[in-house]
Amino acid sequence: MSVTEETGKKTKRSLTRTLWAFLSSLKLLVVLLLLLAALSIAGTIIEQGLPLQQYYRYYKPLTVEIFNRLGLFDMYHSWWFVSCLVLLAVNLIACTISRYKGILAGVKKKTLVLDEHFLRSLPFKETICYDLPPEKIRDAALGIVSRRFTGKHTETVTADGTRHLFFEKARYSRLSFFLTHLSILIIFLGGIIGSFFGYRGYVNLLEGDTLQRLQTRSGKIRALDFQVKCNAFDVEFYNTGEPKDYRSDLSVIKDGREVIRKTIRVNDPLTFEGITFFQSSYGALPEKATIEAINNDGSLRGTAIAFFGERTAVSGIPDAVEPADYQEHFVLPNGMDAGPALGVNIYPPEGRARGVWLLQNYPRYDRMRGGDYFFRVKNIVVREYTGLQVSKDPGEFLVWTGSIMLILGIMMAFFISHRQLWVSIKATAEGKSELTIAGKANRNRDTYKREIDAIIRLMKEIVR
Amino acid sequence: MSNSLLFNACTLVYFLAMVLYIAYVSFRTQRVGRLASWTLFAGFVIETAALGLRWYESYEMGIGRIPLTNLYESLVFFAWTVAIIYILLERKFRLRIMGAFVSPFPFIIMAYASLTSKEIRPLIPALQSNWLTYHVITCFIGYAAFAVSFGLSILYLMKVRSEQNPGRNPGGFWGFIPDSVTLDEVSYKTIAIGFPLLTIGIVTGAFWANVAWGSYWSWDPKETWSLIVWFIYAAYLHARITRGWMGKKAAVLSIVGFAATLFCYLGVNLILAGLHSYGSS
Repeated sequence: MSVTEETGKKTKRSLTRTLWAFLSSLKLLVVLLLLLAALSIAGTIIEQGLPLQQYYRYYKPLTVEIFNRLGLFDMYHSWWFVSCLVLLAVNLIACTISRYKGILAGVKKKTLVLDEHFLRSLPFKETICYDLPPEKIRDAALGIVSRRFTGKHTETVTADGTRHLFFEKARYSRLSFFLTHLSILIIFLGGIIGSFFGYRGYVNLLEGDTLQRLQTRSGKIRALDFQVKCNAFDVEFYNTGEPKDYRSDLSVIKDGREVIRKTIRVNDPLTFEGITFFQSSYGALPEKATIEAINNDGSLRGTAIAFFGERTAVSGIPDAVEPADYQEHFVLPNGMDAGPALGVNIYPPEGRARGVWLLQNYPRYDRMRGGDYFFRVKNIVVREYTGLQVSKDPGEFLVWTGSIMLILGIMMAFFISHRQLWVSIKATAEGKSELTIAGKANRNRDTYKREIDAIIRLMKEIVR
Repeated sequence: MSNSLLFNACTLVYFLAMVLYIAYVSFRTQRVGRLASWTLFAGFVIETAALGLRWYESYEMGIGRIPLTNLYESLVFFAWTVAIIYILLERKFRLRIMGAFVSPFPFIIMAYASLTSKEIRPLIPALQSNWLTYHVITCFIGYAAFAVSFGLSILYLMKVRSEQNPGRNPGGFWGFIPDSVTLDEVSYKTIAIGFPLLTIGIVTGAFWANVAWGSYWSWDPKETWSLIVWFIYAAYLHARITRGWMGKKAAVLSIVGFAATLFCYLGVNLILAGLHSYGSS
């Protein structure tokens, strides 16, 4: 092997090592967290996900162009934001790989004998001498400690006759590292699965109508394997006029049979075959209305029952009418609420159609238009519709599993520590003995020190 | 409404507590210190009664809901949590001197709350959920813990500076303040309370959003800012165990973290738009 090849390999190896050290470093994590925090701010200032033409209202054309190129209008899905998240995931995986051996070793390693060498490595220790035989001291010490360390203890007698008692608590709290760090990866995975295999959409469903397919937010048409019928919709108001409760009585129909019937409301959706229907909004659409043509002297000239969106001939006049819009509370220019109003397109036999508003409560409103007859509307029949948010998210389960792991892991990491305690007792002379007590905790050491100090105090009180 | 009378009384008592804590720092007599602690506790008791009364009055009005649903109520609850967290910390760590830095918070928050609308209004359907209680309580205890830790981190940075110039004014004010190691430790412990609660707050919020709106995460400004806060404190917790990031840098992160918390709580509602309506009323 030539020299250059050798060094080439070395640089390669040291390069991989440097890269690995970088990817698994705590510093990278801290920097990434802060970077993600800083970048996320942009998306809260620039409104996300509007149609592009709307941005021209808020920004100069050049700014829109630049922001759009940078992906700032959908920044949480932009390549640079996603790259940061991917790097975070890589960092978490690298950290887990580089630390799991040490953590597992910490979980497995059990030192049962408190010898000189080991004692030196422990942070809290104390030696007490007694004028009592070791058996008595052992029983008394066991009595004191086992009240605090309730689990099983281990007792070892070494060759020199020294007894070693070992106590511990919450050994498995050392695993909290895996819970917290892997939970984030599981949440990520859930999010990815949701965005690839799930969908979301919104539908308005009229009372009595049946839903078979819907348009998702990404614009695709999804057919359902079943049907959802809105049997009834109902809304209740507070005295203040604000909505108190709105609910839809839904039936799920599969193969022609009703499988589930449930009344959904806000905060109480219906789920069937992984697809969930949420009560989201409501409204009313007109179905039909009676439109009358009235002479200026007030006598009836002609009449028609017109269905919404259908051009209908009116008897007695040449014009045809088409109900095209509806408002439950029509607001007059002076701000007054004029009640229900029907927007009607009027088609004369020749020339252009024109749109007028006819107010049900003010039958002479259209007279202001002039001409030898005017229109009025009666019996507007409306059908209420329920606004449903429909979503399918197969990744949800993972997100909640990850979230629970994260919470448990954080609680464990902060509030539970692996606490170990050793007590060794040896005979120093006939009827005399020496007790050494030492302890170690992987976290919250000051709390543990207080705990051990209390035990030491009790130990010192053993006299007979 | 009698609950607002009690809230006014409580604001006054918090003001007194603040004055007494500052007097304690200035004169350092134990009697004033004890009086300050008891006054703060009295304010807390009055506020607890006021919250209970407001809850009861909402039932009297036929609305019947927990007093945690608009800006006024959230501010009042925020002051309440800051007070209780500080009272517990003071008992545990015997650091009454911190009171001068933390006790202004309940007073300022209550004073600010008094400027907002106090009306008890009925709940819109989206807010009618048990998740409201869990979500709001966990978030606000988290926020309050961060507020306390913010006060401590500022004190820490000032103390570190005074420790670097030991010659100046020994036995003076800074000699009276606990050493920087203790301040750092207590500040960390407070964040150790706040961070799990913020995490639970975000998760319960996501879960609730999923039940109410059919999406557990929509990157709305409130959600995003809560995540920003979470990122910053996660960075703080990891910084504290990283060489070169301990001490000062970690303390700065805790201060930045609370600034982000404040923005998440008030800034988003006052400046940005979003799904969380309570700030706009």
